[in-house]
Amino acid sequence: MSLLLDLLFFMTAVTGTGIVLSRQPGRQVLAIAANGLVLSLLFTALQAPDVAFSELAVGTAAVPTLFLVVLISTRIDRTPRSEAKE
Amino acid sequence: MTGMLCWATVAWLLGIGLYGIVTSRNYVHLVGCLSVVQASTYLLLLGIGYRWQAGPPIFYDHPPGTPAVDPVVQALVLTDIVIGATVTALLLALVLRLHKRTGSLDAGSIRPLSR
Amino acid sequence: MTPRARLLVFIGACACVLPAAVDVVMHMPAFGVHPLPYGDAVNRLGTAERHVTNMVSLVNFDVRGFDTLGEEFMLLCAVTGVTILLRGARGEQPTAEPGYAPGRPDVRRSAAVTAIGRVFAPLIVLFGFYVVLHAMTTPGGGFQGGVIMASGCLLIWMGDGYRSWRQMMRTEILDAAEGFGASLYAAAGLAPMVLGLPFLTNILPFGQPKDLLSGGLMLVLNAGVGFAVAGGFGVLFVEFLEETRAVPLGGGE
Repeated sequence: MSLLLDLLFFMTAVTGTGIVLSRQPGRQVLAIAANGLVLSLLFTALQAPDVAFSELAVGTAAVPTLFLVVLISTRIDRTPRSEAKE
Repeated sequence: MTGMLCWATVAWLLGIGLYGIVTSRNYVHLVGCLSVVQASTYLLLLGIGYRWQAGPPIFYDHPPGTPAVDPVVQALVLTDIVIGATVTALLLALVLRLHKRTGSLDAGSIRPLSR
Repeated sequence: MTPRARLLVFIGACACVLPAAVDVVMHMPAFGVHPLPYGDAVNRLGTAERHVTNMVSLVNFDVRGFDTLGEEFMLLCAVTGVTILLRGARGEQPTAEPGYAPGRPDVRRSAAVTAIGRVFAPLIVLFGFYVVLHAMTTPGGGFQGGVIMASGCLLIWMGDGYRSWRQMMRTEILDAAEGFGASLYAAAGLAPMVLGLPFLTNILPFGQPKDLLSGGLMLVLNAGVGFAVAGGFGVLFVEFLEETRAVPLGGGE
């Protein structure tokens, strides 16, 4: 059990560092999802199933989606179309 | 040994998250580094509440006398995760408005309102 | 302050804090063996007092119910902030034209993706509802189930496209669900005060342990949280995804 916890602590530190060192936001979204997955496994190993549920739903589904949508929105062409259409 | 690794991971995540915030060149990257700092606080709280050879604090299958970990810190972290995601969304909305007004996400090139 | 100067100040601050951090890590209480008096008291007395078997929900909605009220209103404030920032600049009408991002390829959606979205979205929403219902017996509750329900609806966006998803997610219903959830929590807390008892006293009958309908007032509070979180996250997704649409005629902001 303690070996499993040690391994998961180490992997949490690695994925956390991965989030910070991924300077491109497009790559950072995957690092955030990976960190959410590893944190959810760690919370299960720490005997906290409620918290693992919460972290799984939020950290791998909701937050990366919000990040991706913000990145899409920053690439949309926002010049006014009032002179482009008829 | 496991305990020291746990607290060392907490300190490491806090430090690397703050380093990411300080040296970030992109506002979306900065919000991601803030989530690393949040993760360190969750780990600290759950590490405090842990007990060796204990089960989760759910007594559906076991009678209420079996050893279990602390449910108080788990309740704190559970609400904290969901609310933290909402605050991250608020920060991302601010970043989006900033991008619409100035056209760039570069943290170094945006200056306060100039006359 | 230039980035290099900022980094140097940060390294200086880390050098000052590092000895203290090492000292704290060395002298923390022993991992896993130190006493937990409040947790042990809740574990020992919880099932007998309130007839629930999920101690975390007991702490969330009964022992520390006032904190959860604060958290739920924090969620309401954050979602209101996002709505003011994004919907205030854009207007209330849903825009149907997809935004054009120069240089991105236009990939046709395959039938397999559409089928997966249509099959799994109702299953995941049903699963989220199951998680909300089983708050008092097994791991679950309003917070987890609400997020799962809102995330399950996103599969329709992935499978069927933005137009179908936006027609399904009506902001009137989502706003009403969120407000209803928050006010249900506050009203359920005020109800005992009518009888002269303190705020958030558990006045409903407790029921049997291991039963879905156990816990008394906690069921109402859990339902309020479920509505508020599902509605709140739905509003968040709608607001953010509306930003990917084209700017309307006359220019946006």
